[in-house]
Amino acid sequence: MDKVIICRCEEVDLEEIKETISKYQCSAREIKLRTRAGMGYCGGRTCRPALNAIVAEISGEKLRHEIPLKIQPPIRPVSLGKIGG
Amino acid sequence: MNKHRILEHPVLGKLANQKEMTFTFDGKKYIGYEGDTIASALLANGIRKLRVHEETGTPRGIYCNIGHCFECRVTVDGKPGVRACLTEINRNMVIESGKQHSTPFKPTDNEVDLPRTYSEFENIYKEEKEG
Amino acid sequence: MYDVLIIGAGPAGLSAAIACREWNLSVLVIDEFPKPGGRLLGQLHEEPDGKWWNGIEEAKILLEKAKQLNTEIRCSISAHHIEKNDHGFNVYTNEGVFEADNLLIATGAAETPAPLPGWTLPGVMSIGAAQVMTNVHRVRVGNKGIVVGVNVLSVAIAREMQLAGIDLQCMALPALNPVTADYGNPVKVMEGLLRIAHLAPSAAIRFGSSFLKGDGAKDLAVKFFPKSGVKMWGMPIHLRKAVTRINGKNQVESVTICDISAKGEIIPGSEKTVEVDFVCIAGGLYPLAELAAVIGCPFQYIEELGGHIPVHNEQMETPVEGLFVAGNITGIESGKVARAQGTLAGLSIANRVIGTDGQLENQIQQAKMNVKTIRENATIQFHPGIEKGRNQMEETFYNILHG
Repeated sequence: MDKVIICRCEEVDLEEIKETISKYQCSAREIKLRTRAGMGYCGGRTCRPALNAIVAEISGEKLRHEIPLKIQPPIRPVSLGKIGG
Repeated sequence: MNKHRILEHPVLGKLANQKEMTFTFDGKKYIGYEGDTIASALLANGIRKLRVHEETGTPRGIYCNIGHCFECRVTVDGKPGVRACLTEINRNMVIESGKQHSTPFKPTDNEVDLPRTYSEFENIYKEEKEG
Repeated sequence: MYDVLIIGAGPAGLSAAIACREWNLSVLVIDEFPKPGGRLLGQLHEEPDGKWWNGIEEAKILLEKAKQLNTEIRCSISAHHIEKNDHGFNVYTNEGVFEADNLLIATGAAETPAPLPGWTLPGVMSIGAAQVMTNVHRVRVGNKGIVVGVNVLSVAIAREMQLAGIDLQCMALPALNPVTADYGNPVKVMEGLLRIAHLAPSAAIRFGSSFLKGDGAKDLAVKFFPKSGVKMWGMPIHLRKAVTRINGKNQVESVTICDISAKGEIIPGSEKTVEVDFVCIAGGLYPLAELAAVIGCPFQYIEELGGHIPVHNEQMETPVEGLFVAGNITGIESGKVARAQGTLAGLSIANRVIGTDGQLENQIQQAKMNVKTIRENATIQFHPGIEKGRNQMEETFYNILHG
């Protein structure tokens, strides 16, 4: 079960996320930076609740009011030409 | 093409008088109905696999079907990254599945192991330091 | 430049547009999906009074009304960023930048995953994906499948698939992992099932809902839950079986299913392979509030409402001037509640644009009451603590404003 993929876009599995959390005692944001989970094509829309749940379970902390994995624009993939306007 | 269609429905009624449309997927011709999305037209033709993961080559198909997950992205008339679940088919539309990339930045068996993430970098750095 | 831009052409967005157009505001509604209607489009269930709730028809009614009022609705437009400027908002989309004085975000919900080994295979889809394929596109998602995850939404959609003649082997739980801790726990799932017991025509699932009020009774019910599952509309629902993996090379070929204890632990040696060509995964829903987040709207985590919610008051107004929210982004509830919230949000926006002498006050009060009444009478309740969650949100808004 530890080999189950959590982040589909970047193919990051539960084991890698768990190990990273216990090694660095990190937040969902730090997991994203260290493992790329939640950083792929979909922008974390699919795995965000899963990442939050894993961090909550391992750290034993309840979710806070600010969104753990900061949402940043663009929230859909956009070509550089479009951003440049 | 109608093998997978729900033509009769006890509440929604009959699906009738649909206009047919021809399109191609990976060079093969298929028929869908006007108003179909690429995803529904292909599934109606029994096709589930829409792309492979760019790095690992694992097969992927529709997952959320409403534009959230981007798993169904395909190339449409030369434009990559188009969501099959949100894009309606057009007459003679040319659709290509997503292929595996040769990724110069990613480690493969016979290439230099370049770190993919910061933690990989840390591990390599540590290993090198420890000799 | 519009008086109001509405993101999302679902029940909330369309109703809001109608309310705004009735007060003659300039309105633009955008949606990513090629057809307007949002998630109304897939909905199809029988109400306790025997009448069918047909989302496609409900969407048609709203669209017809919007059309009569000359409402501009543009589909296949994705917003990827929003900036607040001194008088309103710039909304960045794949079709250029739109400007509006007021903004209503009615982007609904996204599905929570229940990750399992093999869930990236073609043929594995979210339960909502199957609903759209079945009822909107009228395409069969497969020949024989299984639903993993038993909750209000998945039971309703399983029924819809059955109506369309799709062969569902059964519904079972996902194997436990840190993500599926709730959906893989038979006792927690039982609580959810009891909330929809009244919808089951066969009465099978009502097998004991009357004596299952206390927690102890719930545990007992799970302990003695029939090995063969209980049947709802002839389809077995298992609380003591879990899918541990999905197998296949290029697409789904089978699932591995195991017996589980009342706590969800796998019973060794009970492994079985069931051949299927599709799998629907049902984790649940969470409010999709990305666009509110990029504007900088404050959030509140409220479990009863389904997750992180943009702070808003009873009039659907956020602390960001000119920013409104309605529908599932404010908490996971039925489409009927979303529709009522949309009307309320539309009136609030009209009030901000034109209402100086309180001419909308009565209508707003009425719309508020309407939301409450519909919530109280809802046949499908996604969370039993919805009212508590709503009150918490009210308090938060008040505290932010009055510190």
